[in-house]
Amino acid sequence: MPETLVQIELKPPHGDWRDSHVEFRKGSICYSAAPKNLTALGLPNPRAWQPLDKDWKLPPDWKRIILDGMKERLDKYRSFRLFMDICVRCGACADKCHFYLGSSDPKNMPVARAELMRSIYRRYFTLTGRIFGKLAGGRELTEDVIKEWFYYFYQCTECRRCSVFCPYGIDTAEITMMGRELLNLIGCNTNWVLEPAANCFRVGNHLGIQPHGFKDSLDFAADEAAEITGLDFHVPINRKGAEVLFVMPSADYFGTPHYYTLLGYLMLFREIGLDYTVSAYASEGGNFGLFSSHEMMKRLNAKIYEEAKRLGVKWILGGECGHMWRVLHQYMDTMNGPADFLGVPVSPLTGTVFENARSTKMVHICEFTADLIHHGKLKLDPRRNDRWIATYHDSCNPARAMGLLEEPRSILRAVCRNFHEMPENTIREQTFCCGSGAGLGTDENLEMRLRGGFPRANAVKYVKQKHGVNLLTCICAIDKATLPTLLEYWVPGVEVAGVHELVGNALVMTGEKERVADLRGEPFPAEAYAATTANEAGHA
Amino acid sequence: MSVSGAIAEIVAERWIERTLASYPAEAHALLCGETDPFRNPAGHAIKQSLTTLAHELLGEMEESAIATALDALVRLRAVQDFRPSDALRFIFDLRDVVVEVIGAPPQALEIRIDEMALMAFDQYMACRDQIAGLREKELRLRMQCAAK
Repeated sequence: MPETLVQIELKPPHGDWRDSHVEFRKGSICYSAAPKNLTALGLPNPRAWQPLDKDWKLPPDWKRIILDGMKERLDKYRSFRLFMDICVRCGACADKCHFYLGSSDPKNMPVARAELMRSIYRRYFTLTGRIFGKLAGGRELTEDVIKEWFYYFYQCTECRRCSVFCPYGIDTAEITMMGRELLNLIGCNTNWVLEPAANCFRVGNHLGIQPHGFKDSLDFAADEAAEITGLDFHVPINRKGAEVLFVMPSADYFGTPHYYTLLGYLMLFREIGLDYTVSAYASEGGNFGLFSSHEMMKRLNAKIYEEAKRLGVKWILGGECGHMWRVLHQYMDTMNGPADFLGVPVSPLTGTVFENARSTKMVHICEFTADLIHHGKLKLDPRRNDRWIATYHDSCNPARAMGLLEEPRSILRAVCRNFHEMPENTIREQTFCCGSGAGLGTDENLEMRLRGGFPRANAVKYVKQKHGVNLLTCICAIDKATLPTLLEYWVPGVEVAGVHELVGNALVMTGEKERVADLRGEPFPAEAYAATTANEAGHA
Repeated sequence: MSVSGAIAEIVAERWIERTLASYPAEAHALLCGETDPFRNPAGHAIKQSLTTLAHELLGEMEESAIATALDALVRLRAVQDFRPSDALRFIFDLRDVVVEVIGAPPQALEIRIDEMALMAFDQYMACRDQIAGLREKELRLRMQCAAK
């Protein structure tokens, strides 16, 4: 270690951290939201502008709007006021942020990012700050501060890794959420967040797929599942009286590799004879409102319980998605609940009562499938996944927001024979984010995403070199959309898949035809192919 | 050209020190002090790459070892917030480090440093091209998705 660098530096660092000027550069920012999307959602100050412009065309009374908005939230959310007051700047969070680890930008230390807002809080909402200003750690609210907030609050993926290490339990993601809410009040928002939100509000899903397109996509998937297995498939849509409403992220029926996960769900549901329906109205599990404001999150989330009520289902099952589960697990119950018209979820096959979902009435598909496997209800041939040497990326929200740590692993161990964990301090509660969550996963922001994703990729590289890992499994739609790009840059040769894709590969369905290829159309390894043929002979 | 391993070690250490100084002062404690490669991936990549490069430049000059080490470091600096000249400045810093440690560099070493600089230019451009290609690929996928 270079000794001169670890000696205590007595001189203060160059510049002042309170200097709010930031340089916006193409490749590491998200573009602004199109006015039509603000109009569609009824948000203030729709206009044409870009972060690279000098004039952001803020409303004339922007400062009053921000300070009033801050006061309102400080009064409404006890946690917000607490998080503003309680930090002792111990630094435990400082080196835990993936953006800080990848960029070395000190303002990406979670404590420093939060300080951007705390300094305004001190100046305008504390007595010492009002009297002593800078001396009490306060800062004047200027347009440059707004630009700095925009820059750094859109460099946080709200993954909450830092909060795991905070001795006071400060949830820095919630500070980012407050920052973005305030920015929304003066029309400083990004298109990658607001366009999906507007689409979802208007049509029911992020991609703006209308009901007939939704049906076409699912019919196409059903046909493909039929072709693979030789069995008939039908996906019930808007069917009243079904036992279960299944809600998935829209990427599952339009994106790749998400689509293979969808095939896995359909095969599983058919094999166990699940009495379920999907909904063209609640055709999106994801919720980009979470990345905008609590009001938006509530508006977009409301359709799930509404649809469950309309269709008369008993409980709700949710697909592989990340932030969807933060909303469902932590906010839905109090935001749009209580869903007392639904029953406590019970697996129709095993009789397991999902006590953890007693309140929300919504079960994660990994909980459901892990329970089926635990009770021996599925016939699985893990040899069919022998071409993969897999590792598992704990998607931030299912891991940290709902504690879903063991279920995906228990499924993976049952459906594939080559599974290796990444180093301990990069998985489970300490998992590293993909660097593209919370609405940052757009192509124009790719350089920033590559910085933020570097710590995750570094751990993948380690297991690739050590165990020959060639597949990164995960249970988040944003992960599946953005990790392929990240890995192509940092760790070429590693692909990305959902857990239920591997379930679909390994699932031996009753009466299936001789299966020779996996859901991606790649031939099964010879050993698994021989076993499939033997099964066929047995059935005959 | 070959110098003792101990001298190469000193050169590597001073070179790492200079390169880490290109990052903000507040980040030095982490970049220099943390030895766990997963808690400090950037610092680890910089130290590992520069150590390999110093030993190769002052030793066998094995091309594949240099290419691997250079790739790991340039790949990182190509996405960090550096201008191209700043991203690759670390190579030219080596001259000063060598002067500090062993005096005026021999002609052979000058040639090696120049060779490595040229390799780094290629590598940097390859990374930037790849980023542009990845952006284009994501856009294309998005368009296909919308067209469906």
